[in-house]
Amino acid sequence: MKKALAMVLALAMALSLAACGGSSGGSSSSGGSSSGSSAPAASSGSSSSTPAAPSGGGEKVDEILIGNLLPLSGTAASLGKIGQQARDMAVEEINAAGGIKSMGGAQIKMIYADSKGDSAEGVTQTEKLITQDEVQLITGCYQSGVAMASTEVAERYQIPYFVPVPSDDQITARGMKYIFRLAEKTSWRNRDQVAFIKDMAEKTGTEVKTWAIVYESSSWGQGALTALQKYIPEAGYEIVLEEPYNTGTTDLTPVCLKVKEANPDVVLMVAYVSEAALMTNGFIEQGVHPKAFIATSGGFADPTYFDLVGDNCEYFFDISTWEPDVNRPYSEETNKKFTEKYGYGMNAEAVKAYSAMYIIADALERAGSTDPDAICAALAETNLTEGPQQMYSSEIVFDETGQMINAPLVISQFRKVDGKMSRVSVWPEAEARPGWSAEFPYNK
Amino acid sequence: MSLMPSIINGASMGAIYGLIAMGLTLIFGTMRVTNFAHGAMLMLAMISAYSIWAVTGINPYLLIIIIGPLMFVLGYCTQMFLIRPVLRAESDKNDPIGVLLLTAGFSIVLENLALMIFGADYRMAQTSFSNTVFTFGNSSLSAPRLFGLIITLGVSALLWVFLQRTEPGRQLRATGQDRNTAALMGINSEQTFAVAFGISCALLAVAGLVLLPFYYVSPSVGGVFQTRAFIVVVLGGLGSVPGALVGGIIIGLIETIAAQFMTASVTSVLIYLVFLIVLFVKPSGLFGTKLD
Repeated sequence: MKKALAMVLALAMALSLAACGGSSGGSSSSGGSSSGSSAPAASSGSSSSTPAAPSGGGEKVDEILIGNLLPLSGTAASLGKIGQQARDMAVEEINAAGGIKSMGGAQIKMIYADSKGDSAEGVTQTEKLITQDEVQLITGCYQSGVAMASTEVAERYQIPYFVPVPSDDQITARGMKYIFRLAEKTSWRNRDQVAFIKDMAEKTGTEVKTWAIVYESSSWGQGALTALQKYIPEAGYEIVLEEPYNTGTTDLTPVCLKVKEANPDVVLMVAYVSEAALMTNGFIEQGVHPKAFIATSGGFADPTYFDLVGDNCEYFFDISTWEPDVNRPYSEETNKKFTEKYGYGMNAEAVKAYSAMYIIADALERAGSTDPDAICAALAETNLTEGPQQMYSSEIVFDETGQMINAPLVISQFRKVDGKMSRVSVWPEAEARPGWSAEFPYNK
Repeated sequence: MSLMPSIINGASMGAIYGLIAMGLTLIFGTMRVTNFAHGAMLMLAMISAYSIWAVTGINPYLLIIIIGPLMFVLGYCTQMFLIRPVLRAESDKNDPIGVLLLTAGFSIVLENLALMIFGADYRMAQTSFSNTVFTFGNSSLSAPRLFGLIITLGVSALLWVFLQRTEPGRQLRATGQDRNTAALMGINSEQTFAVAFGISCALLAVAGLVLLPFYYVSPSVGGVFQTRAFIVVVLGGLGSVPGALVGGIIIGLIETIAAQFMTASVTSVLIYLVFLIVLFVKPSGLFGTKLD
């Protein structure tokens, strides 16, 4: 009996909402539904935002709720945790500095939800954040797959969704209005690898013509190949070898021999850590001697990589978005503070998560309201050149698809520092480790 | 284009595949049991050798004094306490499925134990000769691979002499040919099985130590080699020790030479193709007898 009643009520509600949406325009329907849903929350005495009548300047708000979707359990749990810690540190700083001043010093409150790294769970948790926790904005995700699915939910509910980490090109290619992405697109890494080689070749007067691409045969490697097939010829170079291999293969010597035979000027590698090690050692053993080895992060950025290959990887290049030694404002002190607080250093993902909170705070400040459309409009108009997010990028601007347009990619070179292999930032020169420059061409 | 570098490197890697397959073929030839824990036992040998190397830093080849007997005892005990009871219970059946499942289950246990204790990280033993490379004309071969090839050939010769010329070796072969007749001649077949298992594991200890200076160690490393070992065993002939060595070298050569003419991800398909053709033309394998 109760069940039947509940169902009838739910049906009536759905009908009335649909009618409301049908009779009025898109933006007012969202306003109507959000005020309707916040009424019971206020009456039940919850501590969420107390919607005051919007006055001319900004509304007075005690707390702004930000939903965070992160893989807090499952295989990527450690990455979810460092993302959570980076966000917490940024929010503590923002709140301690007086919160969002245009809303009367409103404090930011983070609500975390566990995606378990699973797309379906991500969708459920996003729905929960929007309908039960009634957050004003959502941020997060580590995996691109979860981001693809959960952003759909936010778009449907017309709640802004800020994506700091996932890099799949498709995330901002779907014409969504409420999605903003801070991370670079995957293909931009390949674009910048080519740009870096071109720049170095011109500066050092080295003749570079041919490239070999050695990549793992699953979607990651295939994606990189597609992007490189566009950017390498565009830069006036020729691809002389495209060599896929299966992850979990026993021996990569055949591949190394083939690269030697092709004798390219640049060897570009896409690999997880086991093959990254076999490949690096194989190239050195077989005496493969191009003008540059350049890697695509992944296995080459793994903390165990240097132990696996020793000095063999000396003078290899790798690409990433942030390095602990990168010469950017706020980078060193923020990383130091983080290390003191949590006992280990930041990684590129933590830096993106940390910077994201400052960009969100800036947008909230300019919006002066918790209305989702006002936050969205403010995010779209972002033009930030000052503040702690400079450790990620000196200028934050979004294009019409919600994509941050300045990919702050950095090339590091594996060099011996005090007798130990380290990643040394070398390009762009302005962000290089002071006193270091790229060793090009490869001359080991 | 010269194929010399491919031939040299392919043969050296293939010899190691052969060495790993030798233990598998020995167990099958004697007991008619397929050991699905073979890869996991190789992993165990590599991890324990790596751990000792990481602490002491001594030449990994010398570790055979410790790892060899340890692995022999492990193999002996595996047969005595794990496989023998199941084999007895299934003695009246033609195909002992229970033993297959037992070895498969044992491999999962070993891999997860290694994950718990050793962790999922990849490690590599950077020895003093790991980065030494010998150059012959236009081909290069790293020192660990050259030493690996020499050790493998030596150990195969020793195993062959053991099987052909010694009394325990004759007992192993006799039990493999017909365990009932052998038993009637006074050979303790269960004892012989345990010795076969022990030798198989000791061979894995050698293979693990040969791989250690140039290959990564991780709990998943066994699976990488196990598939190759199965193909090698069937190709060379079930139960044939020289067949395992020749089969291994053939697979290594196909893998390396074919990769010069097609993409490396396709060569594994080619290996299965050769494997199927051999099964069609000579189902008992290259060195197998018609009796199998």
